[in-house]
Amino acid sequence: MKLKNSLIALVFCVFAASSLAAGNMEGQQAPDFALKSSTGENLRLSEYRGDVVMINFWATWCGPCRQEMPHLDALYSRYQRVGFNLLGVNIDDDSGRAMDMIEDLGVNFPVLFDARKEVSELYDVSAMPVTVIVDREGTVRYVHHGYKPGYEDMYLDQIRSLLRE
Amino acid sequence: MTRIFITLVTTTLLALSFASVAQDEDPARAGTSAEKAAAAGASEARSREDFRAIDQEVQSLKKEVLDLNRDLFLLEEELLFPANSQVAFFVSLDVGEYFNLDSVNIKIDGKEVANYLYTEREADALMRGGVHRVHMANLKTGEHELIAVFVGKGPNVRDYRRGATITFDKGIGAKYVELEITDSVKKQQPEFAIKEWE
Repeated sequence: MKLKNSLIALVFCVFAASSLAAGNMEGQQAPDFALKSSTGENLRLSEYRGDVVMINFWATWCGPCRQEMPHLDALYSRYQRVGFNLLGVNIDDDSGRAMDMIEDLGVNFPVLFDARKEVSELYDVSAMPVTVIVDREGTVRYVHHGYKPGYEDMYLDQIRSLLRE
Repeated sequence: MTRIFITLVTTTLLALSFASVAQDEDPARAGTSAEKAAAAGASEARSREDFRAIDQEVQSLKKEVLDLNRDLFLLEEELLFPANSQVAFFVSLDVGEYFNLDSVNIKIDGKEVANYLYTEREADALMRGGVHRVHMANLKTGEHELIAVFVGKGPNVRDYRRGATITFDKGIGAKYVELEITDSVKKQQPEFAIKEWE
């Protein structure tokens, strides 16, 4: 009887683990999207296949996003020439505010506007900021929810390891 | 004196015997090293062949995976969009001197079904003669209204937004609809048309 119970528990654990893994995007193909950017051109994720891409979801009302952006910009400036790209996806309803903040912070990476929230829904963005790192094959490798000082070092390690692959 | 003589003779004899042993051993040693070299060469060739075989196997596996992927894709499409109720919408661009395409929005019977943003590369591909399947749908037989809104930059890089509408009849069998953007040299303006293909 005991053995039967433990077997059931084991099966349940396996199912629970697999369902949790299914909820997580890591290891899955990054959903493709196209959005209008701050420069006016449309950018599509799949056109960056072959590069390591970081997708950073942010909003003007999010304090940690403001804190994180200069670090992300530094990463972009440093690794852009070796096959790294960064797409900042702003989810504000009003893109004007986002443009002001970009200018304010002097951000150089492309910022896309997802006013219809289609892309943030696609990536199941439930916190702010959310940072997704996609490898050269277009697979989601890392997903980070929120930001705390020091996360940029973790991003750096992950980007460097993906660039080396 | 006798002792010295005996020692000399013994040393000479010993030296001679060592020399003969060494002479006997030398060819044997040479033989083993040649054999070893041959064996090493043979094993290297064998491992190279093995490697080639594995490489071929990997290539054939890759091909099989690609074939399987294609078959699954086609099967999925056939299941999701049965040929009888299938309607496909295509966008084409002829010349494109007066219009720089940014996006196409499609409404069928008043409901938005597609809003596609074109990147510079995609617009360029259309200008080079490419045709883009922008949407695929399942529609009942009968009349349907299609509204397509084209957004982009018109002559003199001005923002341009134009719509085109058509009421089409969906019969039995697949239907193809082309949203065509052409240049009108007379008007110096782009023109938008919707064509039905049977």
